[in-house]
Amino acid sequence: MTPELIGTWAGFVLTLMVFSYLLGDNALYRLAVYIFVGLTAGFVAIVTVDSVLLPWIRLITETPDIGARAFGIIPIILGAALIFKISPRFGALGNLGLALMIGVGAAVAVVGAISGTLLPIAASVPDRAAGADDPVGVFNAALAAAGVICTLVYFQYSARRIPGSDSTQIGRGTRRGLVTRALGAVGQGFVVVTLGALYGGALLSGLAIFSERVAFMLARINGG
Amino acid sequence: MRRLLNILASALAIGLGLTTLLGLLSGEGALGVLTSALLQIVVIIAAVAILLGLLNLLIIHIVRVVRLRRGFLYSLALVISALTVLGLWLADRDDDTAALLQTAQLSVESALAGLLAFALVYGAYRLMRRRVTWGAVVFTVALLIILVGALPLREVSGIAQIRDWLLAVPVSGGARGLLLGIALASVVAGVRVLTGQDLSYRE
Repeated sequence: MTPELIGTWAGFVLTLMVFSYLLGDNALYRLAVYIFVGLTAGFVAIVTVDSVLLPWIRLITETPDIGARAFGIIPIILGAALIFKISPRFGALGNLGLALMIGVGAAVAVVGAISGTLLPIAASVPDRAAGADDPVGVFNAALAAAGVICTLVYFQYSARRIPGSDSTQIGRGTRRGLVTRALGAVGQGFVVVTLGALYGGALLSGLAIFSERVAFMLARINGG
Repeated sequence: MRRLLNILASALAIGLGLTTLLGLLSGEGALGVLTSALLQIVVIIAAVAILLGLLNLLIIHIVRVVRLRRGFLYSLALVISALTVLGLWLADRDDDTAALLQTAQLSVESALAGLLAFALVYGAYRLMRRRVTWGAVVFTVALLIILVGALPLREVSGIAQIRDWLLAVPVSGGARGLLLGIALASVVAGVRVLTGQDLSYRE
């Protein structure tokens, strides 16, 4: 029996164990999930060490500059200091690495959101309207633009306080303006349609993967 | 000491965060080089943090096995599978590691993704069963149009056209609105950290 064949049958058995969940939560399903978590943990560790840490360590050990070596050790020390987070007394030591990650991460998120999402999408909406040359195209472009605006309005939470109301109860003591409420209701419709479509897409993907797994199992049973 | 470390943490987050922001926006010169170095440092810290997390996972399950706690057999399976992968890697058996990834890992992964279809169908069924609201009805109609429109049948070509229009216009508009909302929220959350209004990392 070749290692490939053993692997294929192992895949068959594991697939069957996962699908046993359709009969209810059981020991076989849980065992497959624990094996999956263990394998994933192992592969994540390999990728982290092999692709990130080892090249960095090689870089700092090969450089003749002592200052560069000392600088190279800093992130490893800051990362290792995160272990102090489990101690209430020394937990603040772990905050340094965390603060660095969050500060730099926040900057990357801001720039990424502006240049990767806000500007391209904001530019594409009027572009689409300008590109439409027939009435149907103009209507569709206007509807899509309305969808964008109304969806954004739906997620606007600022509201006026109702005089004399109990402000401690969420949603009871405030009221949004009429226009905001109307646009928000339309926006809710767009959000619901979008989520329904995304749900359908996820369902179709799940079905495609399921049928591929069933085909794989049938092929194993038929000796393929 | 603790107070000093907390102040230092805030200074690091705000100072280096703003430096990174300026470096990413300008993109060139000394600031660009500094930003690149900072990003590398953050990647290394994150890598060490991931390893610590994995170590914690293994320790928890090894303790569960040693003390024969409830479900220790599952923990044993987890520890063995993780150590098998690491052992193969340490023994330089790359082919076997790749085979394990291809067979065991991908099989379970795709089987779980396949199970998702059943969970989604059940979720849609429960949505309409619990309470019929206009939102639930619109959601279900959109879902059905997407599903029926995907069928490769001539009889439902009209629905396929509606599906294409739905995806191209309302869904496109709604998705863009959602993406813009997420991006705006990311900017607000990022600016709160960079201006020192959010100090959750000090807790």
